[in-house]
Amino acid sequence: NRNAAIFNWPKKYSCLLLCLDASRPWLCFWILHSLELLQEPIPAAVASDVCQFLARCQSPTGGFAGGPGQHAHLAPTYAAVNALCIIGTDEAYNVIDREKLLDFLWSVKQPDGSFVMHVGGEVDVRSAYCAASVASLTNILTPKLFENTTNWILSCQNWEGGLSGVPGLEAHGGYTFCGTAALVILGKEHMLDLKALLRWVVSRQMRFEGGFQGRCNKLVDGCYSFWQAGLLPLLHRALYKEGESELSQQRWMFEQQALQEYILLCCQNPTGGLLDKPGKSRDFYHTCYCLSGLSIAQHFGNMDNHYEVILGKEENRLAPTHPVYNICPEKVAQALQHFLRMPVPEVSRQPGGSGEDRPSDTAAASSSADLQS
Amino acid sequence: MAESEEEVDVLVQRVVKDIANAFKKNPSIDEIGVILCPEARYNRSPIVLVENKLGVESWCVKFLLPYVHNKLLLYRQRKHWLDREALVDITCTLLLLNPDFTTAWNVRKELLQCGVLNPEKDLYLGKLALTKFPKSPETWIHRRWVLQQVLNQVSTLDHNKNQQQAEAVQADAERNEQLSDRLARTLRQEMKVCSDAAGRYPSNYNAWSHRIWVLQHMARGNVKVLHDELSSMRVWVSMHVSDHSGFHYRQFLLKELIAEICKRPAHTSTSCSPQRGCSTVPEGSPCPHSCSHSNGEPSGQEAGGEEDSHADFTTVLQLFHQEMDLCSDLIQSFPGHETLWSHRRHVFYLWDQWVREHQHSCSRGSDCKLIHLTDPDPGVPEISSQSCAGQGHGVNGQKHASEPMEVDGLFLPDPHNSKRLKRGVLLPCPPTLPTELSFVSSVLGGCCNTEQRHFALAYRKWLDTVIGLQS
Repeated sequence: NRNAAIFNWPKKYSCLLLCLDASRPWLCFWILHSLELLQEPIPAAVASDVCQFLARCQSPTGGFAGGPGQHAHLAPTYAAVNALCIIGTDEAYNVIDREKLLDFLWSVKQPDGSFVMHVGGEVDVRSAYCAASVASLTNILTPKLFENTTNWILSCQNWEGGLSGVPGLEAHGGYTFCGTAALVILGKEHMLDLKALLRWVVSRQMRFEGGFQGRCNKLVDGCYSFWQAGLLPLLHRALYKEGESELSQQRWMFEQQALQEYILLCCQNPTGGLLDKPGKSRDFYHTCYCLSGLSIAQHFGNMDNHYEVILGKEENRLAPTHPVYNICPEKVAQALQHFLRMPVPEVSRQPGGSGEDRPSDTAAASSSADLQS
Repeated sequence: MAESEEEVDVLVQRVVKDIANAFKKNPSIDEIGVILCPEARYNRSPIVLVENKLGVESWCVKFLLPYVHNKLLLYRQRKHWLDREALVDITCTLLLLNPDFTTAWNVRKELLQCGVLNPEKDLYLGKLALTKFPKSPETWIHRRWVLQQVLNQVSTLDHNKNQQQAEAVQADAERNEQLSDRLARTLRQEMKVCSDAAGRYPSNYNAWSHRIWVLQHMARGNVKVLHDELSSMRVWVSMHVSDHSGFHYRQFLLKELIAEICKRPAHTSTSCSPQRGCSTVPEGSPCPHSCSHSNGEPSGQEAGGEEDSHADFTTVLQLFHQEMDLCSDLIQSFPGHETLWSHRRHVFYLWDQWVREHQHSCSRGSDCKLIHLTDPDPGVPEISSQSCAGQGHGVNGQKHASEPMEVDGLFLPDPHNSKRLKRGVLLPCPPTLPTELSFVSSVLGGCCNTEQRHFALAYRKWLDTVIGLQS
């Protein structure tokens, strides 16, 4: 007796993008990813504009900043690389200065395996994910760059089964996704206590609302549709690789239908866009992550074994998203294909600094990035 | 009504000055806020100071914020010069309106480093910003930077002072425990700031994470502080029974305390309780309540491995027991809160782990005459075999072979053993799998709250599947 429907919001987004209100790499990513999930083509002129804008956000010393002229930061770096891979043209790929990007990653690498978010900034597990994501997509990843990172991420898993921002803190959806996805990229996800993680994340789906909470005893939030539900495909694959025999061939280990209901019925703004929960206002961040979560809930499996559960009309169907990078799988494949043809840049670096003259350590002039977790 | 650029300029500069003057006039301002006031009252300042509260009328924010924001960015891009005083005032204004503006905090870092600002100013500004923006990540991050500067200063002074001392008596751990006045004050202030922020926003991850950071950096290994925090937090968590972060903080305190207790030898030569906050407590001594010599015998002499592990075990058991007690009490008083059950799981899990680790060290032959919980000694009604894991099962559910009680019997109530309870040792029953299961049954028996039932059943399932299956 429930009617699920998607309103016609694609056009709204094209307009906003054309206005280039997207003044930061995050906005670029959130909007572009939403469009690709909605299977809305991106006009070539817009794509080119975005490329040029992101090029201006790239720091001369490597990595991307929150805006032109600011210092690089891992979060907008992640967003920029993802956005460029979604665009997927040669122009987009060529924006990325791979050598400098590697320099930047080294400059934020810490001896204990962790990464600070920007030079002089603080450590948390998101940084490892951002670093692993961009390094793997652009083929600049070396084992040395991620030395000790695995152990550091593992130390973020606590008794609850989830991961915290830094070792010793409370388990949290956003950080758990980042830590797990980073380990998947590094090929070390089996070192987590997968069963404990599974127990934790499935307990985060709310029995009444159908959506996910970020932590125990907190309220539901649409964005966790991706950060939390997105863990199930990763866990499914990891357990499968361990030889787990009881895994379903058709469903993830969460209530896919209930999540779709929550997103479609509770998280839509009547004039377009998605949101946290009823009563909240829409924003691009929630639009991106609600749609990403909806996509996860609709699509099981991979290219070889694909099974769909679409709630409501067929028009509700979104494109599948890659559970590690959260851009469409074809775009991931395409980017990898492009960058794997290039040699890994040779950089012999020590963690924690590139030796160049910088303004004082603590006076990084970047304004805060919009990454929310 | 369109303002000309000059008018805006004049207005904003005046507002910035008004704010600065408000602080000069009243250094005890303790809260900030925006006053809903859509239209400017003719010729009146939008800055309102009443008692210790500073308000900004909302109509001016739309002029104020972009203007100062822009000014600061221009300064940063070296397109516009601002003198130090202007920088202080402008960043102050900015951060009270938008404390996540990292650039402004970074400007203040520079001012701090060249001595224009002192750290207390920024701690104060941050505290104010948190009254309106209790989660603000950048505020907490800046706060840690400032505290680190303070710590660096103190440790430099400390180092110099110690070098001058003729007797090199003090061990590191002891110096840890004797916080300098300044540090102690700062620590107390940080706890208050965290507590206030936690009260302003439920499950405030950033506030609690900061609190943990402060203890790790300013009170490392300080058993007294850990105990104090644990006891002062009882009331707070009892009033915030859904605050998962608050309970997680208790879990952190427990873990740290236990690690500290087990790290050092416990000198049982004094009889003061940590709760009474003895400043004469010697290094590392948590002095368990029920020191085994409450019948008046001198206790100082037997400092040896056996007594040490006895005192350790007693203290640890008491801590866990108190925590489980608190948890049971809250679960029964406030049915249907997931956090309370999650806390119970964690505490039990911690206890279970601790027991496993120490079971090994006990079976290595040390003489553990600690607990003889076997006997339903009629003279000690508090401890009955029924409530204490009967049937010869240990915490992990395994049946132990018949071994001498001394080695194996940490909490193994072998009903066939007829050893007497050690007089004067009134130890609480350790939590065990069976006692937990019976707790669940008693909750299920008495409750009609659906959520409570659900959580109780889930807890039982966890006990069976996770704890029960551990070898």
